[in-house]
Amino acid sequence: MIRVNDVHKSYTKETETIKGVSFEIGKGTIFGLLGPNGAGKTTLMQIIATLMKPTSGTVEIGGMTPEKDLLKIHRLIGFLTTEIKLDPVSTPNDLFDFFADLYDIPKEEIKQRKEKAFERFGITPFAKRRISELSTGMKQKISIAISLLHEPPIIIFDEPTNGLDILTSRQVTDYLKELRSEGRCILLSTHIFSVAEELCDEVAILVDGKIVAQGTVEELIKLSGEKSFEDAFFKIYVENHKEEK
Amino acid sequence: MSNGNRKIWFRGARAIAASFFKKHGQMGAQAPGSTFLISIGFVAVLSLMVLSWFWWWFPYHLFSDEVYDVVVVNAPQSFIDYNQYMQKYRDMKARDYGSRTDWLSNWGHMSFFKYNYDGYGWTKFIYKENSALYDFVTFGKWMRENDAYLTVVFPEGFDESVSARTKDHTLPKPDILTYYRTNSIEYTSMKNDFIDEYLHGYQDYMREQNGWAYSNVVDSRIIDDPMDFSNTEEGHSAIGDTLGRTFAPLLLFIVVLYASMSAGTNVIAGQKELGTFTGILMTPVPRSAIIAGNLLGVTLKTLIPSFLFAIPFIIVPYYWKHGALIYLIVHIIILAIFISAMTIFISVINDTVVSAQTAFLPVFLILISVCVTCIQNATEREPFYLYLPVYGQFYGIGDALAGHAEIPGLIACSFATLALAFVVVLISEKLLHNERYTVSIDPVTAKEIKNARTGKNTVMDVADKITDTFVFTVRETIYPLMILGFCQMIAIVPMVINYMGRAEYSQFIADLKSVTTVTDIMKKTFEVIGIFMGNPIFLALMTVAYVLMITACVIRTKVVFHKKDYKEAFATAGLPLSKPGKVIRDYLIGLVFGFLMMSSVCLILKLTGQIEFTGLGFSKDLIPVFLINMLMWFPQGASEEVLFRGYMIPRLETRYKRAFAVFFSSLLFSVFHSLNAGYTPLASVNLLLIAVLFALIYLKTGNIWMTCAMHTAWNLSQGNVYGLDVSGNVAHAALINTSHSAGAKDVVTGGAFGPEGGLAVTAVTLVCMVIVIVLLVRSRNLARNKDA
Repeated sequence: MIRVNDVHKSYTKETETIKGVSFEIGKGTIFGLLGPNGAGKTTLMQIIATLMKPTSGTVEIGGMTPEKDLLKIHRLIGFLTTEIKLDPVSTPNDLFDFFADLYDIPKEEIKQRKEKAFERFGITPFAKRRISELSTGMKQKISIAISLLHEPPIIIFDEPTNGLDILTSRQVTDYLKELRSEGRCILLSTHIFSVAEELCDEVAILVDGKIVAQGTVEELIKLSGEKSFEDAFFKIYVENHKEEK
Repeated sequence: MSNGNRKIWFRGARAIAASFFKKHGQMGAQAPGSTFLISIGFVAVLSLMVLSWFWWWFPYHLFSDEVYDVVVVNAPQSFIDYNQYMQKYRDMKARDYGSRTDWLSNWGHMSFFKYNYDGYGWTKFIYKENSALYDFVTFGKWMRENDAYLTVVFPEGFDESVSARTKDHTLPKPDILTYYRTNSIEYTSMKNDFIDEYLHGYQDYMREQNGWAYSNVVDSRIIDDPMDFSNTEEGHSAIGDTLGRTFAPLLLFIVVLYASMSAGTNVIAGQKELGTFTGILMTPVPRSAIIAGNLLGVTLKTLIPSFLFAIPFIIVPYYWKHGALIYLIVHIIILAIFISAMTIFISVINDTVVSAQTAFLPVFLILISVCVTCIQNATEREPFYLYLPVYGQFYGIGDALAGHAEIPGLIACSFATLALAFVVVLISEKLLHNERYTVSIDPVTAKEIKNARTGKNTVMDVADKITDTFVFTVRETIYPLMILGFCQMIAIVPMVINYMGRAEYSQFIADLKSVTTVTDIMKKTFEVIGIFMGNPIFLALMTVAYVLMITACVIRTKVVFHKKDYKEAFATAGLPLSKPGKVIRDYLIGLVFGFLMMSSVCLILKLTGQIEFTGLGFSKDLIPVFLINMLMWFPQGASEEVLFRGYMIPRLETRYKRAFAVFFSSLLFSVFHSLNAGYTPLASVNLLLIAVLFALIYLKTGNIWMTCAMHTAWNLSQGNVYGLDVSGNVAHAALINTSHSAGAKDVVTGGAFGPEGGLAVTAVTLVCMVIVIVLLVRSRNLARNKDA
């Protein structure tokens, strides 16, 4: 569903943030992008989500390229980050209706989908409250409900559990598993190992804009010869990260 | 575009436009308070400049060194004679200088501050001798020394050469040279005026004195009263023209610009600032639909205040001619679309609301400058200006308001403007495909910056907090003022326009010239409003204005307190409707109490011999005025209560302690009455006390029904029952005629302000206040005992 082919990205002439990344993700998989802050995870996610154009290389989503079929791709992807992106003076109800219009959901389906999504995350009692009055966890749940209201087959999720309490992050991981079982293709970035270990079918470790290791969690542990995934990550990181002078 | 794409284009654009009118406000970050403050200051300065054009009242001497004098070199005897002969005309002009008539006939020459040279009225002539006709260095020195702007140089022996030429036409004409100072562009037109009017007059004078024949029409100008403008009908038309062509379009431009800026910079730039824009970009809605939807939303949001501000000008029936209203509406709509396109463009290229508003400021200034050039060139405009964007709208709005309208100008200008707006929109759409303008900042970096800021309580944070509180307070002070001002303007503008056409008006202006202090000016103004107070139409308009005021307050309550519906908004504004029985009971009690309070004030005044009742003052003719006046007091009392108590106290309580909220709102209540006639320090204290008393009653009862009724009963009985002045306003129809006794002391009676400026009211208010405080403390103790 997602095919990333030798993507480079540089913001300035001197430095390259993404230095040639390629991978492929199929249906019903959760693909984890692991890396420390500043490795280029967010940039890569934004490129895949068509928000940025790569300096060179291509991104294919569902067999389409953003240059040609940008809006069709938008119907296929749901893009989420923990950076709360909801209008604080609005209400979950209004926002859902607003985005349902923008995603061109048939009018008669909106109510049904809203009820289902709000029920699923326990938003219903807060549906008419202002976003700014709600807790971080609730905001994240609303954000998920709204970003996925068009039921996209591809989900791009930047730091899904960052800054959430245990209960909410548990709900989020459960939901992601549920989405996988429905056959969706999920790309998520994280720096939390437990999340990666628990969720991801495949993991890629991104260091300084390059994928230095890729495979299942077990494969990576085996490859590094360490006991835990965390240790494996550190070993791989230290081997590949060059200290800047 | 395929069918599905077209469908989502329209649906997306419509949804975005509709989001501007959502219950919970539009999407996007709100502008910070400091921007609001700066904008208010900016608009205030501009408004002052605009108002200064109505220069008959503006103290120009504060801003200009009045330079009117003329140096005359080698003045011949005939010119000195002419100056003496003209003295009476010049005196007349000097007397009229700054009068309405003069202003009416000269409005076309307006420019900032000292704009209107009256030709020669105040000119003093400084006579000098110099044999060198081209010695501009010396002439310049003389002009600077004598504060003159012009030097007129006669050749030596001028009179002789002229009379010689009457006998022999082959002789050369003697030339009169003029030199003028160039440090102000006005001097050029002043020089031209001087030559056109004064020197041509001199030529005529010479002919008359010497019995020469008039050579041609141009040279035979009649100098009699060239500036006189006594015809009332024409005067009326000129005032309409002036309002319609200068003040009104400029005001509309400012409103359109400001409204468009506040709506337009909030959306895309504000959404980028909040991070909500990514969500919209990720939807399958095309970028062009995003731009179109925002443009539609901003335009509609701009049009609401624009039409609202156009109402006071439109309702004056004078403008309602030749379908000009339609032209006005079209011009406003096209202008709003263009300005909104500009704000959208600026919003697209900026990442935060502040940067977008800062970027908009030059546009604001440029467009205002265009307005100013339009006003300056109003009389000599080239026809093609009508077809240009912005210029065309300014002149078009002016023409429409003055009752003229041209279809070709409207169409050409509208097309040109729309084309320009379309180009701007196209560029914005193209930019929206560029990640530089869509993905504003890496969220990790943004978060780090934010954490660094909130982690420590830096000096900047404290300063921000103080500014924030300050801005909140100022805003909450300004909003009631704006609501008050705007609503009362609706009632007062038609009356003032009507009054200007009357004979009393000239007397009013003449009297104004003799007054010097602000107090005197206010006194004069209230004399006029006093005249209006006897006019049933004015009273009816005021009634409407007060109802509007209450509506505005409730709407604002609904918005700022985020209430679901108007029922809740009414309740929050202190007017709960849920228990009609209690409402009626409270209201009746209030009416009785208000009446009793005022009656006790009158009783005190009567017993102490301060006032005398001079019999029943009721006559048949006064019935309509009396009834409408009575009717007016009901919304009048309620509007002030809802403004200063029901809305303001809970609003201030969101930031301050209750005591401060009560004190501050009461202080504002008192200060807002300070413009009324006869205002004294004691009156301010009394009004403060009354306001605190009402606030306490509001806190005791939990609603303002009782205080509304008290306020109404107080004013009604004061003005229309006991015939006393109400906060400096004279009530015209009273049941009882009352007059101050010979030995009455203003300290007790309050003088021209009415009893509210005297000690009698202080006493009654204090007694009532003690009672209410006792009741409050008792109910609080009761509640505490219940809890225990």
